[in-house]
Amino acid sequence: MNAPLLEVRDLAKRFVGRAGRDQPLWVIKDLTFSVADGEFLTIIGPSGAGKTTLLNMIAQIDVANGGEVIFQSQPAPISDPKALDPGLHCRIGYVTQEDNLLPWRTTLQNVLFPLEVQGRLNDETRKHADMLIRAVGLAGFENHYPHELSGGMRKRASLIRTLVYDPPVILMDEPFGALDAQTRTQLQEDLLRLWNLGRKTIVFVTHDIAEAIALGDRTLVLSRAPAKIAGEHVITIPRPRDIRGIMMHPDFAELYQRIRAQVQ
Amino acid sequence: MSTQDAALDLAEAAPVRWRRYGVLIGRVLLIALLLVLWKVGADIAGPLYAADPIKVFQRTVADVQSGTLLRHIYVTLRLSLIGFALACVAGVVLPFVLRRMPRLTAAVEPYIMASVGIPKYALIPLFILYFGIDDAPKLWLIGLLVFYPIFIAVFAGIRNVDRRLINMARVVGAGEFVIAREVIWNSLLPFFFAALKIALPRAISAAIIGEFLVGNEGLGFLIENSRQNFDTVGVFEGIAVATALVLVINALLVALDRRVNAWRPVERHMQL
Repeated sequence: MNAPLLEVRDLAKRFVGRAGRDQPLWVIKDLTFSVADGEFLTIIGPSGAGKTTLLNMIAQIDVANGGEVIFQSQPAPISDPKALDPGLHCRIGYVTQEDNLLPWRTTLQNVLFPLEVQGRLNDETRKHADMLIRAVGLAGFENHYPHELSGGMRKRASLIRTLVYDPPVILMDEPFGALDAQTRTQLQEDLLRLWNLGRKTIVFVTHDIAEAIALGDRTLVLSRAPAKIAGEHVITIPRPRDIRGIMMHPDFAELYQRIRAQVQ
Repeated sequence: MSTQDAALDLAEAAPVRWRRYGVLIGRVLLIALLLVLWKVGADIAGPLYAADPIKVFQRTVADVQSGTLLRHIYVTLRLSLIGFALACVAGVVLPFVLRRMPRLTAAVEPYIMASVGIPKYALIPLFILYFGIDDAPKLWLIGLLVFYPIFIAVFAGIRNVDRRLINMARVVGAGEFVIAREVIWNSLLPFFFAALKIALPRAISAAIIGEFLVGNEGLGFLIENSRQNFDTVGVFEGIAVATALVLVINALLVALDRRVNAWRPVERHMQL
């Protein structure tokens, strides 16, 4: 196998104690893992395990207090706040927990925003955006403002806003966390369908074990803070997967039990 | 989902329209009432203290026809808008510059905020001393009165921008200029418009006060000169025209605000 697309080595993050009195708190320490090209990696951990912090550091929004993030064999400038390069020149996409749509832009304008700032807006990319909008069922809502959309629709818009510029790696931070079960399953199906079209590398963080199994090729379990890898599971369930029936698959129960035992 | 919303809109449309007509009728009645009160009050107070609205109207029409009133309006409006534009640019640009220099901002912020408290009108004699009796002292007064509300609103607006939107924009490849223009500017537009609604009427008031003191043209001159000649009708004419001017400007501003900030989920009946 080739060198991994993305490597995290001995990553550490410290939060300074309040008013300097408390001990500094290590949320992440000695965290090491790698992601292969085209892999769908899911990361699961209890809340407060530093999952968002981890993704923020990989996306270069937040500085690390130790360790390395290596992308395509190049170490990223991750410890120096001045040298941070959010998104590593548009090569790391990030679908955050909140949709972070620009409220003054319509659905279509939001989806086109990355192409616009990257100077890549042309007939071809517009067509691609149009295809994605239809693929996630937002056709007819192109000219609606975010506050006129439902939570699920906003999520879809924020998802395809990242897909539209085709970054080699996409980080996802519990993107479907705040949705009702029905919408959530629908979006998981949409995501897998879109992923099947392009086979992007995805790092998907969640606290839902079933979701981690249903979506991932491999699942990492994070321990409580300071977060480390508590376990690694290859998800053997073959693709294409039926999300609604995933719990019926013979391997599911065993995987679920094994992962659950490690998530404290 | 949306079809349901649309249905709700339809269901509400008829009562809302009637309510709007009701409000409109009420407003017209209120204006009529105020005019009647003015007339009655003027009759009671006598022509030296309060001018008869009918005479004020006749005088206004006559002055419009002779062109003198339009000249006064032009002079005041021109001065207000020049002062406003200069101060507005400074009030918008300075916070964006300070944003890039957090340490300088931290150092000067208390002084800027303290200088808000200086009564600007008290500086008029100094302005006249420094800048003579042309437009310059008036422009300084207008400029200072406009600058502060705009500066403070934009400054606060920049502080209130959602960090997560900025991070999102950075991740998808936006540079500092795009972030300032797209994310920050749009985020603070509602703040900016709130400040404009304070600053534009202030600009006109400041111009009028400046004209009380120096110069021989403009609405301020019209009011003060009429007073010196015991011409109460002229005083009231000037006040009425100045008020109408501010109202027209406000109406334009509200229309512009609606257009520019159409994306905001504001309840329509909450709009002033």
